[in-house]
Amino acid sequence: MTMDRQPMIDQWYPVALASQLPAGGRATQLMGTPITVLPGEPIRVVTADGRDLRITVRYGHVWTSLGDPAKELFDIPEADQPGRRLVEVGVVRVRCSPLRAVENFLDIAHFPFVHTDILGAEPHTEVGKYDVEIREQEDEVWATKVQFYQPQAAKSATGGITTDYMYRVPAPTSTVLYKTCPARPGEWDVITLFVQPLTEELCDVWPWMALFDDETALTDLIHFQQMIFLQDRSILENQIPRLLPLDPGREIPTRADLTSVAYRRWLKRHQFTYGAQLVAQ
Amino acid sequence: MLDARERLTIRGRLGADSFLPWITRHAARLGLDGEIRHADAEQVDIDLLGPIDLIDAMEMGCLLGPIDVWVETIDRTPSPSA
Repeated sequence: MTMDRQPMIDQWYPVALASQLPAGGRATQLMGTPITVLPGEPIRVVTADGRDLRITVRYGHVWTSLGDPAKELFDIPEADQPGRRLVEVGVVRVRCSPLRAVENFLDIAHFPFVHTDILGAEPHTEVGKYDVEIREQEDEVWATKVQFYQPQAAKSATGGITTDYMYRVPAPTSTVLYKTCPARPGEWDVITLFVQPLTEELCDVWPWMALFDDETALTDLIHFQQMIFLQDRSILENQIPRLLPLDPGREIPTRADLTSVAYRRWLKRHQFTYGAQLVAQ
Repeated sequence: MLDARERLTIRGRLGADSFLPWITRHAARLGLDGEIRHADAEQVDIDLLGPIDLIDAMEMGCLLGPIDVWVETIDRTPSPSA
């Protein structure tokens, strides 16, 4: 498919870590368009034909858009909460649809099978009932009251706990996970996945976290999250089809996939279809 | 597992020719006995017989549906033909 008039063109996307821009800039692409992220004050993002794109710097990343976003970048209030450690995990390239990367992040049921003995373990495989809604005012997908047993929910966890989760999709290729904070009951740890669509079947994934954890070394936090995501990558790169089906076709979504179903419905409603398979094959 | 009989009342923009064959195909894929009892551009009623988990899966599938259909809501009630 082409990206002409594709509504996703008017969204914000992460394209670099602001703190780690090389002196010569970062040459990359966004939705098939070559771009360069140039360091400086201000940071610039330019296309090969010399067009300056809109940018914003938030959550440690440079964000840009090929189009004209109607809204500012979504807010994560926890990013400004005193006492949190903001962790820039880096980038992982994944040969899959950017929408697939987000959809996989929303899938709780895979924890015991892909992140065995870390984020899940047999026989604790059942996903209990939870609530999913599309919040009309914010125009975001939210899943709440999600509970799952985890042997090691976070780097700072010392044993198995039942972890509470909330999932949020504020943009087609960005998702925010709120989970029980082992170090500070009553607060949520924030783990995000910001996905840069390079093409419809290739993406750079930029995880980022805002945690209450004064104990764990930064490198350990980064390695823990990278390990989790590298486990996901091997699954993502072998999924068929590579594009995310909006028509379930041969896939059989079940009630445990309610968040994924809501996400796909939200994509369909907004015609956010870059990286989607429209007709089942 | 005991079979259940339920009616799915689907509402939305359902006028595309693709929808009814899609429903029949998806029900068959799930191994459900299904019968379309009513169909117009805004509402489709399907009576289903089968395990409740598979009727749940039918509801999930229909919430997505084919690309040229928009399902707004699905209500589930005991099937009148039970």
